[in-house]
Amino acid sequence: MTKKYKFLFIKCITAAFFLNGCSSSIKHVSENKDPFENMNRNVFQFNKYVDQKILSPISKTYVKRVPAKIRSGVSNHLQWMDTPNTIINSALQSDMENTILASVKFLLNGLTLGFYDLDKGETVIKKRDFGSTLARLNVSEGPFLMVPFIGPKTTRDLTGTILDRQNMANLSSNSIDDLNLAEIPINMIDKRSKMSKTIDNIYLSTDPYIKVRSFYLQNRRNEIYSKKYIENKNNNMDAEFEKLLD
Amino acid sequence: MLSLKNFWISKKISKFLNYTFLVFLIFNFNITKSFSNNLEKGEATIQQMIIEAKKHAIDTIKLEPSERSLKIELLIKKYINLDFMSKATTGTFWKKASEIQRKKYKAALLKQIVLNIEEHLNTLATLTYKPTKSERRGKKLIYVKGQIEDPNKKKASINLLWKLAANKNGSFLILDLEIEGISLVSSQKAEAVSVLRKNKGNFDILLNKMTRDN
Repeated sequence: MTKKYKFLFIKCITAAFFLNGCSSSIKHVSENKDPFENMNRNVFQFNKYVDQKILSPISKTYVKRVPAKIRSGVSNHLQWMDTPNTIINSALQSDMENTILASVKFLLNGLTLGFYDLDKGETVIKKRDFGSTLARLNVSEGPFLMVPFIGPKTTRDLTGTILDRQNMANLSSNSIDDLNLAEIPINMIDKRSKMSKTIDNIYLSTDPYIKVRSFYLQNRRNEIYSKKYIENKNNNMDAEFEKLLD
Repeated sequence: MLSLKNFWISKKISKFLNYTFLVFLIFNFNITKSFSNNLEKGEATIQQMIIEAKKHAIDTIKLEPSERSLKIELLIKKYINLDFMSKATTGTFWKKASEIQRKKYKAALLKQIVLNIEEHLNTLATLTYKPTKSERRGKKLIYVKGQIEDPNKKKASINLLWKLAANKNGSFLILDLEIEGISLVSSQKAEAVSVLRKNKGNFDILLNKMTRDN
């Protein structure tokens, strides 16, 4: 077990430094780096096809057939399964408050295997993943990528997702790891059913690919960067707006 | 004699300083008052709009879709600065557009906003809006922050940020809306500019795409 942790720690640090080497600071996040746009657009078309032909019909049936209470239970359970990642990454980001809150909530909801939120949503936990930890280490987000079956990601977030997955596999037993794999499609259906209106609206827009990129990058940056970044972004926008108002 | 002169000078100086301080206080008080007035006006604009939108959602539910859209269009026109949004979402390409193209773009943008609001209007009617904080930004802008909450607490609350500025009449109009940090102007700009860049600034292609989508 100790070996596993050592291996995990070395992997995290190596990845962070490797990526940091080819990166720059927070100043560059305002640009939408998309050097693989043509390839990304093709992947987006593929994902759209898969979504419209497979995922969307399944998620619609899921919403129609499965009662809301059960859907909410499944959704809670999926969130609960992901909490260890939040605990680890909050600790890595030295966000002790979030680490403690997430740990307590994880243990408390563990009594129902996460299917029922005993806290009734009173405690708000910030979701943390390895992508956000890398961002804290000043690793730049890198080029934007459209990943088959997964969707929009930046290079940094994709690295984070892979490491988070690996992390869970290292920490849990083989049977739990198999369970995790089985939960991937359920998670996809659950997310699709929750974002159904937004996704359908995106498909109707002038350039759906650009809309997805814009939504993803804005949302992700807002989630993981500090107040200083948001203030900086707002200041730049304010200056632009005032100029237009003159 | 010298000390008397000194006393007179110091008294004059102190009087001068007192007056200056008083003028400064009055000036500052007026500025602060006008800023807080503007903040209140901005907040009131948003509150009023939410009330009207909710009323619209209930009143227009039995109307024909086209009639409903028209009513929503009127409501939006009352509260948003469409001229600004059109300029902000097309960047430098706005200057190159002809008068007719500008008019058509404004109409297409308005239609898109109407369609978006129409979709969410019924949901909005079941939720409650709670203003959280407002602040003055720069010389002209006001940020009004708020949250949309589900009274049954089944859905997570959504953070909203409205960016407003006064028009020539002094009434406040919405320039942008950020939903959970996603700016609608930024998203629309990314889309419009991408289409315009690809087509060498040809506005007609963008307009065709927008009207086809609508």
